Amino acid sequence: MTALRPDVTVQLQDVAVNYRVYEDSAGGLKEHFSRGRVRRRYQTVRALRGVTLEVHESETLGVIGANGSGKSTLLSAMTGLLPLKSGTVRGRSRPALLGVSSALRSALSGRRNVLIGGLALGFTRDEIESRMDEIIEFAGLSDAVDRPMRTYSSGMRARLHFAIATARIPEILLIDEALAVGDAEFRARSSQRIDEICAEAGSVVVVSHNMTEIEHLCDRVAWLDDGEVKAVGEPGSVVASYLEACSRTGHHS
Amino acid sequence: MDDATPAPSGGQAGDPGLIDLAAPPSTASYLKEVWRRREFAVVVPAQDLRAQNMDTALGQLWHLVNPALLVGVYFFIFGVVLDTRRGVDNFLGFLIVGIVLFHLFQRVLQDASVCIVRNLGLIRSIQFPRLLLPVAAVNGQTFAFIPALCVALLSLLVTGERPSLRWLLLPVVLAALYVFNLGAALVVAQIGSSVRDLQRLLPHLLRLLFYASGVIFSVDAFISSEFWRTAFAVNPVYDLITCARWCLIGTEVDAAVVIGLTVWCMALPVIGVFNFRRVEGRLGS
Repeated sequence: MTALRPDVTVQLQDVAVNYRVYEDSAGGLKEHFSRGRVRRRYQTVRALRGVTLEVHESETLGVIGANGSGKSTLLSAMTGLLPLKSGTVRGRSRPALLGVSSALRSALSGRRNVLIGGLALGFTRDEIESRMDEIIEFAGLSDAVDRPMRTYSSGMRARLHFAIATARIPEILLIDEALAVGDAEFRARSSQRIDEICAEAGSVVVVSHNMTEIEHLCDRVAWLDDGEVKAVGEPGSVVASYLEACSRTGHHS
Repeated sequence: MDDATPAPSGGQAGDPGLIDLAAPPSTASYLKEVWRRREFAVVVPAQDLRAQNMDTALGQLWHLVNPALLVGVYFFIFGVVLDTRRGVDNFLGFLIVGIVLFHLFQRVLQDASVCIVRNLGLIRSIQFPRLLLPVAAVNGQTFAFIPALCVALLSLLVTGERPSLRWLLLPVVLAALYVFNLGAALVVAQIGSSVRDLQRLLPHLLRLLFYASGVIFSVDAFISSEFWRTAFAVNPVYDLITCARWCLIGTEVDAAVVIGLTVWCMALPVIGVFNFRRVEGRLGS
């Protein structure tokens, strides 16, 4: 067991997560019942297999790895909302995932979506109303704000999501690939905002495929491979050995 | 319920202040959080209701036109074409109360059965008490019910009903209706989240309930056996409709019906909350 430092904000111990993936099998009714129970067949995917990891105070931890290596699952596990197969997840407070896109309604206007997204994030109505102009201005929507969201370009939509999602900064923040949104101008603005957030939040965990971004933002990097932590440490060296492994197997994503 | 408070994990060395994130909060602090976030369950369904008719020519007027058509069709068939009485003085009024209430109940159950499945993305990405989802489903249908209630009251006046002192008790009946809907929605949302087949089954169960609740016929006029009339009081939807009719069109109500309704309204929300909490941790998977 690892020695515990006093400034730990999130601690995962031997965390395993399994997903059930239901098979789309060709088996007919007869086979279905001949197995003696009415239950569909499924495969178990071992998304995380025994991950032990710590996040420290005022630290930005990067998570890298190939597609399907368990990065997003790791973030979900950190929120404590994902049922674990084994292991423990502990933290100083509950980490929050950056993102509200799933709460928004494309038929409604940008302004109404700020309200809905804000409420989903736990703001009160008054709190949102008082920040409404600030959020809309940051998203750069100007006169489009009262049009239905489905008329927005994907860039405008991404900006609005980002603006709502970053309206509140939790003590422990988890970011999943949210960084590269919008055009060059907004990207500059959003990466500046991410820097601010990283400074303001107690701890940040970032998942990204963008190695430049990871090296720029992070104090430490964890490399996930097939549900296991392959390496944790100083960004330059972990990223280098990850890239080396990728070039060996020939698929860098 | 003190078992659920996230306890500082004792035993492990040197990590005071770390809480077990996978442990569910206590019921008291859970319900407090639901209350703190109540605006979510009010604003979101209201906005969804708005979005529903945005592309139509009549727009938001549909919230009024739709119940008017619902009542209008029954008016036409039973008032003009069939002209039945079936042992009730004001059969049209009798019908309107039953139809409008059952329609609300039906929509609440349908929405509740899919409220978890439809919001899986939200559940996976944002931390909030999932209980808000079935509550939002009930609220949304309750908002849609308000114009329907106005149409129903107006239609009652047209059928010759005059407001009596009993109408003053309507808020009590409506409160019982809301509380019962909440409880039912919680139970159905929980079942619907694990058994997706419920969505397919529900229309048929509702049809069965429609006939078991005396929506379009008077149970009292059809069934003479005292025992079986009392047995109907076990059905909460029958109880609600019967109480609403007593209030609005002056039909009779048995003590068994009032007792049945009271028991349902007190028990179902409590059962619903505890049952929902029991499975809440697994809802995202």
